[in-house]
Amino acid sequence: MNKDIYRNVAAITAIFIISLSVMLITNYFQVRGVSPLKMEVVETLKQLNDTSSDNLELQEQIRQLDLLARRAYFIQADHLKLGVYILLGMVLVFVTSLRFYFKGEMHIPDKEIDPIDEWMLKSKSRKYITWGTLGLVVVALLFVCLSSPFLKTDKTDGEAAETLLAENAQAVDDSEIAETPLKPEVPANELDMIDEHVPAEARDTIDDTTNDATLANEVLPAVSEEPRPVVSKVTHNAFRGNNSNGISAAKGIPVKWDLGSGVNIAWKKEVPRQGYNSPVINGNHVFFTGADDKARELYCYDLTTGEPQWSLEATDIPGSPSVLPKVTEDTGLASSTVATDGERVCAVFATGDVICADMEGKRLWGKNLGVPDNHYGFASSLLIWGNTLFIQYDNNSDPKLIALDVATGNQRWVKNRAGKSCWSSPAIAYVDQKPQLILMGNPAITAYNPASGEQLWQVDCMGGEVCSCPCSVDGVIFGANEYAKLVAINGADGKILWESSDYLPEVSSPAATKDLLYIATSYGVLAAYDTKTGALVKEHELNVEFYSSPMIVEGKLYLFSNDGKMHIFSTDKEFKLLASFETGERTMATPAFTDGKIVVRTEKSIYCVAAK
Amino acid sequence: MASLRGMSQAQIRFPKPDFESGYQYPELSYVVPNETLWVWLDIFMLILLMGIVTWAVYKKRTRRPIFWISVISVAYFGFFRSGCVCSIGSIQNIALAMVDSTYHLPLTVLLFFILPVLFAFLFGRVFCAGVCPFGALQELVNVKNYRLSRAVTVALGMIPWLYLIFAILYAVTRSRFIICQFDPFIGIFRLGGDVGLILFGALLLILSVFTGRPFCRFLCPYGALLSLFSSVSIWKIRLTRKNCINCELCHNSCPVDAIRAPYANKVKEKRTAGVRRLVGYLAILPLLIVSGAFLMRSASPDLSRANKEVRLYDLVEEHEANPEEELSLELEAFYGQGRTMEELASTYEAKQEEFRFYSTVAGAFIGLVIGLALIRLSVRRTRKRYEIHHADCVACGMCFSYCPQNKPSVESQKLSES
Repeated sequence: MNKDIYRNVAAITAIFIISLSVMLITNYFQVRGVSPLKMEVVETLKQLNDTSSDNLELQEQIRQLDLLARRAYFIQADHLKLGVYILLGMVLVFVTSLRFYFKGEMHIPDKEIDPIDEWMLKSKSRKYITWGTLGLVVVALLFVCLSSPFLKTDKTDGEAAETLLAENAQAVDDSEIAETPLKPEVPANELDMIDEHVPAEARDTIDDTTNDATLANEVLPAVSEEPRPVVSKVTHNAFRGNNSNGISAAKGIPVKWDLGSGVNIAWKKEVPRQGYNSPVINGNHVFFTGADDKARELYCYDLTTGEPQWSLEATDIPGSPSVLPKVTEDTGLASSTVATDGERVCAVFATGDVICADMEGKRLWGKNLGVPDNHYGFASSLLIWGNTLFIQYDNNSDPKLIALDVATGNQRWVKNRAGKSCWSSPAIAYVDQKPQLILMGNPAITAYNPASGEQLWQVDCMGGEVCSCPCSVDGVIFGANEYAKLVAINGADGKILWESSDYLPEVSSPAATKDLLYIATSYGVLAAYDTKTGALVKEHELNVEFYSSPMIVEGKLYLFSNDGKMHIFSTDKEFKLLASFETGERTMATPAFTDGKIVVRTEKSIYCVAAK
Repeated sequence: MASLRGMSQAQIRFPKPDFESGYQYPELSYVVPNETLWVWLDIFMLILLMGIVTWAVYKKRTRRPIFWISVISVAYFGFFRSGCVCSIGSIQNIALAMVDSTYHLPLTVLLFFILPVLFAFLFGRVFCAGVCPFGALQELVNVKNYRLSRAVTVALGMIPWLYLIFAILYAVTRSRFIICQFDPFIGIFRLGGDVGLILFGALLLILSVFTGRPFCRFLCPYGALLSLFSSVSIWKIRLTRKNCINCELCHNSCPVDAIRAPYANKVKEKRTAGVRRLVGYLAILPLLIVSGAFLMRSASPDLSRANKEVRLYDLVEEHEANPEEELSLELEAFYGQGRTMEELASTYEAKQEEFRFYSTVAGAFIGLVIGLALIRLSVRRTRKRYEIHHADCVACGMCFSYCPQNKPSVESQKLSES
């Protein structure tokens, strides 16, 4: 009798479970693609509201619809939740009934399906394992064969090599540089004008230059269409490149140019206002700033043509000083380099004014951080990581590190710092694949968590007037300054790995490959240290003055001396001087790199180098 | 079904209302739960429940307390604590901590890993009996035990070892914790999660209704590890204190087929043939190890694609080749953070090297596991009574009540009545 009850309960619950499951699954597939706030009617009304923003009745209607949609959604979610609970309860009842029904019969001997003899069983097992193993081997071999480089057509050795540019320096001797490497240098604006008469070799060259296999095909029929600029993905988002680390992934970089004769000069423009900041490149935009006693401005130029796109003046900022702070002539009001994230660009001036614009030059926000108490003038450059803008605001009265939301300018966090004024700029280092925000100042090099501002470690090793910035490679942070020392710090624990004081920079910042660290002193020595041991590997005495910082690009080190001479070195163990030539104008800023192009700011002008 | 709720929760993430009145949203603040208390309670429960199972199995030889422990475990470790921390997943934390000194291994995770191992070494797999919520859930829904061919179960029994090796490989390379990622029951315990995995979990539970613990026997990597310790445990579970009468009842009752019948040995094979086979397997063992190592090393570029940095590198490279394609979220984050290709390339190379090394080691272990299994299956053993195979026995206590030797004798019943 009891068994019949259990059987019936199990049968009823089974029917119930199946029905409810079907209903819930159907419901799930129905609501899966539903986006409650993307109703057509609401979208239409919102568009209508955009055209007539004063219609209060319409806005109220949108709100009501929005509320209805949310309410419906949550009610549906609650129903689903309730359905799942009921289903679980039913499953419990079903299993319990079934267990009671089969009570006593659970382990009634089954028909023996195995042979009685265990040795036979073992033989069979061995056979199955052997076949299973062979199956695994076949699958593994299949994977290996499918991923074999012989079957791949879309990746070339060249591309793979490019990705290792910092580590795998390409030794090219002087003669090769002078004669051969101009092959990929076709200016972007000319690329789009290529028609079907262009020889195949030249098209190959274009493909190489742009790293875009489809580009040539795309532009060939477009003779009559509006020329489009070719935009490289390689950005130079801040002072000394992305992460402010002195390394660029740009390819096809010219190795010879001259302002006087115009060799390999794509364009050149006078700068509207003075500034010692360096240019920054993102897409087809070149950003830099300029300032004098009349105005402080952020500029955007077209990378392809050099035409000014827009400028934005730092005005109407609450708290901005009416009297300009005293700055020295060799620092000026616009020494800080801007930073961009590809959607916004931010600039800071010696007045403490920070402005942020979108890519079209529309001002998003502006604020004054207080006039920095700095006897030469504020010069720290900006850096953006994720959606945070970092400002190293080290001054004599209130040194601090400020993190702002790039989009709104709202303060994310601020960290008070011990020490004095400094002119160094922040950099991002990756340690165990985690980012660290590295700041150099007097008296310490400090690492922060860029997300929270939490101090990770601090090493007291700096002194004097700190202008140079840190750099990093493989989780090791390097910092150096005149009247202090050169240190290599393990980013994982903040321990000094080695230190040296042979050659120290005054203004220029170091850059490093996996093997060598490069230091450019203001008295004209470029020295290379072993990154692992700190041993001085080689030095070049050039009898010049270095304020600009070295940039490592395509296995070469590019470095301007103040007299406007460009020095190119190999970054391999030989550390050879590959080229050294006059460009024509005094240069103290650090150049910006993107595929096939260099943008250089001199004392009076800004120009773009692109091989012709 | 639980997945449906999970899906609905995922959809809750739609934007907040647009206020044009200048209303400022208050800062969100989350109350930090008092995790410490729960963590210690978890450990206390783990020890307590394993202790009770040990008492029930060794002292009382009864199934009843184990059944209730299964209920408690499913309710507490499963639904209430959402199946985490679990000993099965802790393998990965331990593996990672062993190769990466910067990885902080929580004490709870260490204890959740080490305590069941310790108990297994002392008393057998008492953790699997009912303390593990996964095993307990399968046990509770089990209604009828249909037997599977043992040749098949032996072959399927290799899977947990492979799973264990791959789980460790991906953990030590900081790629992913695959045991947690592909946990079939966690979605059921949390009433939400990946639909595919929940369906897989439901399928396992349906199978559990008709055959004993499919997950424990054919998938669980921790079970594979515990079976090693259980097979050499200091105290061994015994069916009865008296002599076995070869009645076969216990053999039929075991849901995991861990009771071996007396060896009938009816098939006659020449001794020399057996010895030759054994020597052959011993001889090819190094070959299997080397082949496994070589194959896995060759497959390491494919295996490394599970690592997010490697995948990102591939994505960026692909995008650089086809820049007109829409940016994925990963690429947006990559370019948005201002990360450079050379930094990514250097990470990529380091990961590839790591994978080459650990895949080689993993391949060698796979070869070793397969070789040892073949050798074990080539050794003849004599067995005259029904015996528990301690590596497979999950200490569920199902067999005790079936053994007539465990029933009180008529004389003792009379004595107790009087």
